[in-house]
Amino acid sequence: MERRKFFGSTLAGGALLGSKSARAQTKQSDSFAKTKKSNPFFKVDYEMSGYNPFSISSDVIFDKDLVIEHAVKGQPHKGKVFVAIQPHADDIPLYCSGLCSKLVNEGYTGHIIRMTNEDMSGRGTVGEGMAYIELHDANIAKACGMEKSIDLNFSKHRLETVHIQELKMRLVFLFRALKVDTVITFDPYNSYEENPDHWMTAYATMPACWHAGGGKEYPEFRKAGIDGHSVREKYYYPRSPQGHNIINRIVDISDVIDQKVKANIASVNFGPAGINGSVLRQRLAQEGKRLPILGNTDDEANFNYIKDLLMEDWHALGKEFGLEYAEAYHYIGPDYDGYSSISEYVEKNAVPLK
Amino acid sequence: MGKINNISKAVLGSVAAGMTGAGNAAAAPVAEVESPANGRPHRGKVFVAVHAHLDDIPRYCGGTIAKLLKEGYTGYLVRTTNDEKIGGLTNANNVLVHEQEHLNMAKALGFKDVFELYTREHRVHDISPIEIRGRLIFIFRYLKADTVISYNPRMNCEEDSDRLFAGKAVEEACHMSGMDNDFPEYKEGGVYPYSVSERYCFSTNPGDMFNRVVDIGSTIEGKINAIAECKIRGGGVKGAELRKELAAQGKKLAILGNNDAAANREYIRNFIMKPSSTFEGIDNYGLEYAERFMYFDDRKTGEELAVEDYIKTNAEKL
Repeated sequence: MERRKFFGSTLAGGALLGSKSARAQTKQSDSFAKTKKSNPFFKVDYEMSGYNPFSISSDVIFDKDLVIEHAVKGQPHKGKVFVAIQPHADDIPLYCSGLCSKLVNEGYTGHIIRMTNEDMSGRGTVGEGMAYIELHDANIAKACGMEKSIDLNFSKHRLETVHIQELKMRLVFLFRALKVDTVITFDPYNSYEENPDHWMTAYATMPACWHAGGGKEYPEFRKAGIDGHSVREKYYYPRSPQGHNIINRIVDISDVIDQKVKANIASVNFGPAGINGSVLRQRLAQEGKRLPILGNTDDEANFNYIKDLLMEDWHALGKEFGLEYAEAYHYIGPDYDGYSSISEYVEKNAVPLK
Repeated sequence: MGKINNISKAVLGSVAAGMTGAGNAAAAPVAEVESPANGRPHRGKVFVAVHAHLDDIPRYCGGTIAKLLKEGYTGYLVRTTNDEKIGGLTNANNVLVHEQEHLNMAKALGFKDVFELYTREHRVHDISPIEIRGRLIFIFRYLKADTVISYNPRMNCEEDSDRLFAGKAVEEACHMSGMDNDFPEYKEGGVYPYSVSERYCFSTNPGDMFNRVVDIGSTIEGKINAIAECKIRGGGVKGAELRKELAAQGKKLAILGNNDAAANREYIRNFIMKPSSTFEGIDNYGLEYAERFMYFDDRKTGEELAVEDYIKTNAEKL
């Protein structure tokens, strides 16, 4: 696939987004603070490596209240559940396996939901490609410490023919049955996104997060003891080929970069990662050459190819914020609770009747 | 397949009725007659009845429903639409009144619970068929439905798209409810595949195929009770209305009795419930009251039955 042209990063002051939703354990980096003072718009120029055709978008708007989410010690999120929703089996490894690994380390139970059956992917026949990729879901989940992968098996590249209400219904069911607190998926506003599976997944996920807590949506699920459960946080990963994503959260994945690499190794038989390192090493050997970064074994080649080449863009993003590696998101936190503000106002301002 | 055997009999039943005309005693009865069973042989089994509108199940198969419940089944009712279009009120009030009467009707017939899907009446083509199928599969699996009762999806000349859509969705959901790879995520909620093994499909129009005639003579009062709860649609209050109209003209009808409740029941009995002697196609089965169905027995496939029959006649000692 031809690599799309990326513009340099742009900066603009974004609208204030969810200031009440910032996680307690985050802080802004010093470099960000310095940049903000010297320029009214938040400008970061970072050089994309050009090694990864499916990297993050380079044309983003960084919110002026950007939050940097660092790793948290202990397991403060024990008891909480997240799902990472991917249309294709290589999306989570590429875009958000760092965040997934971090959240698992911090106590979350995580699950993958894969929307399509990958019938257009992989080497061999359609059936061979599908069966092979199905096996790897379990490996990808294992690499990130997630519990399992749930496959909805829609036909690949045909998700726009599926009625969105069916997608919503099935996601609402899963959000309720698994008691999902946090959802990770594609940004529904990825500009000029050519892949219909990406935007249909995102469009269906958005309302499903909201309806999962609803009282009258799908009452038959309640009758079966599967009660409503509100999704409280969303991390949307950006992939606008052109146009802008609004980024308001940078997640430090320095501690879990090796897990991200291993998740990408598990994407064998499709995508830019997998075993492409060892394939390259073997090809060079046949030509009487070698690449030092690929090491001396196939396992080293696979690992190093991904870490040193494919992960370079996440390394570049991280460096701008004083981190080794980072992933960028549009984060939406718990809904603004107007009722508690009114309660506070009443508490402060109520006066005796007489 | 068992289904082919059922259909071939049904063709005979329908053709015989059609060719000889309604009520013609010369037509030979070919459909199977299901008589009331002694005791409660179906104890532990579950049926789900699915209809689009408040009055369809009571009108077309209320007697069979009451019979199966009497014989030990636990029954559940599903309504697919919100019935917003009928009733003479605003949409919202039509929905509200139908909702209340639907619960009352279900209670009168003896259903254990009611599931409402609330799709908009007459707008079924807005809806994803797969979504409705998925919801029905969920209900069939959760309830462990052995038997399903709904419309014949091949009804002729049925103008109501809600009925045809429901019949088709039910047929497909019954087919797939037992399959592991259809909606596999339901396992995450503890709801596992479960095969529906028998189906009763009713038609709203005479002349449609049938292969089973159910004797509802012993449960006719239950059927009348259920129809009487269908007031906003279905004729449940027509007896009282007629009695009032006649009284305004200085007249009365003896069969309508002395009060509204009696008038409603007797109107239903005499004018809505046609004794089978006047209902096309089943008048020659010798039953006072009957309901007719296309019945599908999926407990064994035609292949399994053929193998069993063949073994019976051809197996030899080793």
